[in-house]
Amino acid sequence: MTVTTQDQRRGVLDVAAIVAIAAAVLVAFATPPEATQGNVARLFNIHVPSILVAYLCFGLTLIGGTAYLVTRRLRFDHLAVAAAEVGVVFTGLTMLVGMIWAKPIWGVYWTWSARLILTAVMFFGYLGYLALRRAIDDPIARARRAAVFGIISIGIIPIVHFSVLWWRDVHQPPTLLRPDEMQIDGPLLAAFLAGLVASTLVAAALIVRRYRLAAREAELDSLLASADVPVAGDAVTAPTLDGAP
Amino acid sequence: MRRYWRILIPLAIIALVIVGLLISLRSNLVFFNTPTELAEQPAGDERQRLGGQVVAGTVSQADGVVTFEVTDGRTQVAVHHSGSPQQLFQEGIGVVVEGSWDGAVFTSDFMLVKHDEQYRTEDGQVYEPGEPIEPAP
Repeated sequence: MTVTTQDQRRGVLDVAAIVAIAAAVLVAFATPPEATQGNVARLFNIHVPSILVAYLCFGLTLIGGTAYLVTRRLRFDHLAVAAAEVGVVFTGLTMLVGMIWAKPIWGVYWTWSARLILTAVMFFGYLGYLALRRAIDDPIARARRAAVFGIISIGIIPIVHFSVLWWRDVHQPPTLLRPDEMQIDGPLLAAFLAGLVASTLVAAALIVRRYRLAAREAELDSLLASADVPVAGDAVTAPTLDGAP
Repeated sequence: MRRYWRILIPLAIIALVIVGLLISLRSNLVFFNTPTELAEQPAGDERQRLGGQVVAGTVSQADGVVTFEVTDGRTQVAVHHSGSPQQLFQEGIGVVVEGSWDGAVFTSDFMLVKHDEQYRTEDGQVYEPGEPIEPAP
């Protein structure tokens, strides 16, 4: 009975995410186009929420790693890996949408500017986090080393965010996360907020699923480790001498 | 003791890499130079990036060459850009052009259009590609 309840609860989150996506699309197309860039600027409603959600995910990886090091409970390690995987997906989505946006506006898909390079460093850095996990078999050592990696990697987020203020860049400075007024008109802000809610719910639904998968993987690993199997497996048979009695 | 070294050495390497990256970014990764900075440098043949705002009333187009001036508010530089400009190219917008000095003129063959961080709905002034847009008052 417990399983059914958990499945139902998870289903609610999935449905909420899908409804939020539909609502965000409706709101986005009900708003007028941006004055200078026209319809292309609607990509703002995916590009910016995606990177904010990615920051949030990597923050969860930091929290999960720290909580693991303090409590040594593997469930926090499962949270860390779930959030990191979803964060990498959303960072990739930000870069992909950014490229689609840059081609008609800037004139190129990609250029080697600080903001773009540092976002790529963040993307490949967290891919490195996932690769490190795959390279370690022992779940305890894996959780400990990944936690350290996840804590150190968080330093890239402020560097990515402030890069457009520290160095002269083709990428414009922040529109929303700035000390003075947001540089966006009401209807466009509404479309952005709808996109932010949808992205957050999608990320939450994915993290919950990935967390449960990580818990089951750990369960399977411990069952396999404790199972009574021959050391060399069934593929090897003991050698016999010809003509032996 | 061995345990401490196993943690300290990777941490030191990571710190060195980050500090080195930041220092090199600080000195080399300015994406473009302003007209004032470029005008102060001795004219050379090397390729450079020049960034600034297109001065209103200076844009003209002939034989595949766009002629205009860019400014950072202090210095104006004349630019001859060969090739067709981006859709969004217009008076008052930010551009980054890549090229070199030809006397007092900056000749460029690569242009990026920079848009600002403002997202506005402007009633009656929605941008349509191909239509000239009046600069905002």
